[in-house]
Amino acid sequence: MSAEPHLLTGAYAAHALTDTERLAFERHLDACPPCAAEARRLRAAAARLAEAAATPPPAALWDRVRAEIATTDQVPPAPGRVGRRFPQLLAAAAALLVAALWVTAAGLGPLGRGGDTERVADPVAAVLAAPDARRVAARAGGAGQAEVIVSRQRGRAVFMAAGLAPAPAARTYQLWMVDRSGPRPAGLVEVPAGGRVIRLLDGRVTGSEQVAMTVERRGGAARPTSEPVVVVDLRA
Amino acid sequence: MFGLVGRVVRNPAQAEEVTQEVFVELWRTASRFDPARGTARAWIMTCAHRRAVDRVRSAERAARRDDLAGRRGQGRPYDQVAEQVEATLEHEQVRRSLDALTDLQREAVVLAYYGGYTHREISELLAVPSGTVKTRLRDGLLRLRDHLEARP
Repeated sequence: MSAEPHLLTGAYAAHALTDTERLAFERHLDACPPCAAEARRLRAAAARLAEAAATPPPAALWDRVRAEIATTDQVPPAPGRVGRRFPQLLAAAAALLVAALWVTAAGLGPLGRGGDTERVADPVAAVLAAPDARRVAARAGGAGQAEVIVSRQRGRAVFMAAGLAPAPAARTYQLWMVDRSGPRPAGLVEVPAGGRVIRLLDGRVTGSEQVAMTVERRGGAARPTSEPVVVVDLRA
Repeated sequence: MFGLVGRVVRNPAQAEEVTQEVFVELWRTASRFDPARGTARAWIMTCAHRRAVDRVRSAERAARRDDLAGRRGQGRPYDQVAEQVEATLEHEQVRRSLDALTDLQREAVVLAYYGGYTHREISELLAVPSGTVKTRLRDGLLRLRDHLEARP
């Protein structure tokens, strides 16, 4: 380690330290607030260099990412922030994904400047990041854990489930939006290995009072033919 | 992000892999993101850059060592890295900010950030002491920061 550790802030911010040096310097940062502050600001400056190299990613890449995060568990918050519950975590995750999309989408310019969120490439992220996004858990007793994130502003809802068992043979899960006039189809649910599902509901939620999921014949039905396995009451 | 990773990794297939890893990592660790410590964008780019640099260092370590030995005293890899960067630097403001650095600062910053070289490698390449490289990196990024903050 250098006799002048504070000179390393630049090399640290540019990731020009070896792993050993980096770990030693991170220990120094823990003990030296001025260096930590400088390192943070230099990192932010270095991150701006990334903007200069923006290129649109191939569309298939984003599909693979979506498929993988659907089966990836999120780590809990760091100790000391444990009091925070899921909606905050979700908001943080969503903000990040949206931010990532912004940064990724070439030509849209830097995050948070110009443009509106409608231009966000992914409607799931747009719902999750909506200022009025609300999480509603399914009534107990359903299949696995399920919840719906709904944004009245966006008029859309996202269905999320964990531990969902595969549908029985020749059957499929089907989502429904239910309002006073009855249920209307909101899409079929494919359950990937791992049983974790994130799916944008078809159609707008305006006026919808419930989201339900039933088991239907493969290909889906025009009206539910069985008792729902999941019911989420959006009025709750 | 993909552009940044591609710049550092220089192999489209590997850049896709790294970008995918970064997205999944961001998703996995989103709850650890602390807005008090900086913007989400900076966090994302820091993760992406770090992963890209790791990939370049592990995959190309051996190849690069030979490369370094072969290149020392001849043409500088800076020219090559800078050429690629120049050709694709879309963002006017960042480009102007880079122009505000001294040549020596810019050389160190470009080699480290876009080239993925460590300060020791840079010091070998440029035949200057590694303390000098550290100073150039720090002064360069400080100046870059001042420039970007003055005209965000």
